[in-house]
Amino acid sequence: MKKYFEKQRNLLDYALASLWRRKGKNISVFLVFSLVIFLLASFLFLSRSLQVAAQTTLRQTPEITVQRMVAGRQESMPLTYAERIRGIFGVRRVSPRVWGYHYNEVTGANITVMALAGDPELGREPLAEGAFWQQGEQGRAVIGQGVVKDLDLGGRRTFSFFRDDLTLKSFAVAGIFAPETNILTYDLVLLDIADGRDLFGLADDLATDLLVEVVNPLEIATVARKISERLPDTRVVTRPQIQGTYQAVFSWRSGVAAICLLSALSAFIILAWDKASGMSPEERREISILKILGWQTPDVLQVRFWEGFALSLLAFAAGAILAYVHVGYFQAALFRPVMMGWSVLRPGFDLVPIVQGGDLLLIFCLSVLPYLAATVVPAWRCAAVATDAAMGG
Amino acid sequence: MLIELENIVKIYNQGRVNEVTALDKVEMAVEAGAMVCLKGPSGSGKSTLLAIIGCIYPPTSGRAVIAGRQLARLPDRFLTMHRRRTIGFIFQRFNILPRISVFENVVLPLLPLGMSPKERRALAEPLLERYGIAHRRNFPAGEISGGELQRVAIARALINDPPIILADEPTAHLDSRLSRDFLADMLALKEEGRTIIMASHDPLVTEAAGVDRVYGVHDGRVTKDAC
Repeated sequence: MKKYFEKQRNLLDYALASLWRRKGKNISVFLVFSLVIFLLASFLFLSRSLQVAAQTTLRQTPEITVQRMVAGRQESMPLTYAERIRGIFGVRRVSPRVWGYHYNEVTGANITVMALAGDPELGREPLAEGAFWQQGEQGRAVIGQGVVKDLDLGGRRTFSFFRDDLTLKSFAVAGIFAPETNILTYDLVLLDIADGRDLFGLADDLATDLLVEVVNPLEIATVARKISERLPDTRVVTRPQIQGTYQAVFSWRSGVAAICLLSALSAFIILAWDKASGMSPEERREISILKILGWQTPDVLQVRFWEGFALSLLAFAAGAILAYVHVGYFQAALFRPVMMGWSVLRPGFDLVPIVQGGDLLLIFCLSVLPYLAATVVPAWRCAAVATDAAMGG
Repeated sequence: MLIELENIVKIYNQGRVNEVTALDKVEMAVEAGAMVCLKGPSGSGKSTLLAIIGCIYPPTSGRAVIAGRQLARLPDRFLTMHRRRTIGFIFQRFNILPRISVFENVVLPLLPLGMSPKERRALAEPLLERYGIAHRRNFPAGEISGGELQRVAIARALINDPPIILADEPTAHLDSRLSRDFLADMLALKEEGRTIIMASHDPLVTEAAGVDRVYGVHDGRVTKDAC
């Protein structure tokens, strides 16, 4: 057993020295290989992050949203509409919602202010610190990571917004949303509905829109149709409609990007195969010499395997780490324009790179394994027969 | 006999349009401790004969027994193991890898044997000293002189302590002084009891002191005592 490990160490030493001897060629292969892995991994990490973020968004999307339309514009909605909706068979709950924007003149950013009644779905999102307010507790807000930055809160845990009459309304920060909910909460200030009405100067019998939950999710379309019929001056938007729009845009974009990247990867593998199968006379001669000196064909293959494995593993690690930094730190600057035309859904948020074992395995299988095959198979073909390059005529 | 060849035929590309009969009914026997020369022009079949004696590939037909093993019965894996234990090669142009050091070239045959660096050093250092190349041990082989290369090749051939040394056109790229030095080294190895077989058309080799027998090789046929 000791001899076996000593042999493996010897062959590994020889392979690494051999890589270094041909450093010019190998460094260029490493750079191209890393670049391909970087692009593929960036794309996968980004799409995984967006998928997780989108799932979070869709999970929080109300089953049915009802908005009152007047002259093609959205208007505040009397709470009497809620009573009329509650009368429809299959409706489980109707919740009024008040929302609007606070414009920060200092940073030029819009902060979304949302005020909910009762036990909001958003109240189940994880918090980085603090806790949600108790029902009926006023003057307390749960805010997103972006709001902390935008209002430059630092360690301070109170802030104020102007009402329409330019008087100030102050809030205590009850909690801060966790970064993984950024897509949903980054620029969000979540309040109790009474605080929302107070801030926006809305009467107690009005809401911005109504959120409807149904008993049976399969009946969403039917209930929505009944609401439209009963309240013809409203716009009714269902969760499946939002999902459909999202899927159509995201799937098309990610499909196009995936095809481009897989084409690049295929081109690289073909190039690698071409490079490796067209062994240079020097490489053929080296294999011949090793064979005549008593190296078995598997010994030669192990050297080639270690060379390919070391090079491709280094490129894989470098590419994957760079991709993580690209997505996490540089916010996927290269792919954002392609993948995030949908950012209109919500103004900016920080991407949190999601790395899953399956994604890494996929990249490994699509890059390292073909490269190993491209280096070992030609060496096997050569080693199985080649002694001629070292022998005389 | 250490080497026995009976009715050896070697055909390359058998059954194809480019079929070549490299050896035709070769008979040869070499005693242990002998120094034998294969003499003949380029393309006559000398290297093929050396390759068969050196267990690089088996003959197409015939009986070849090298150091007690019949080659035709050995699969490639065992041919290699047998070669590793019994044969030391000195090639035409020496076939030294130019980018690795002199020391690394000498110990190349030991790497797949699972020897530790200490064990490899213990075997290589005496050979480097014996052939006067110890001071070049860390030099890239591509940067040393032709005479030193030749001695690296001899040291590498001896690293496994084989009983048989095969040399293919060993003086083809050496001047007469270096050729004489080489032959002196071969004679010394013969005196240690090793069997030396050299393929060459250089008269300096075929007529060298210590050569017990010269075989003529022409168009794949071998004749005894060609001198």
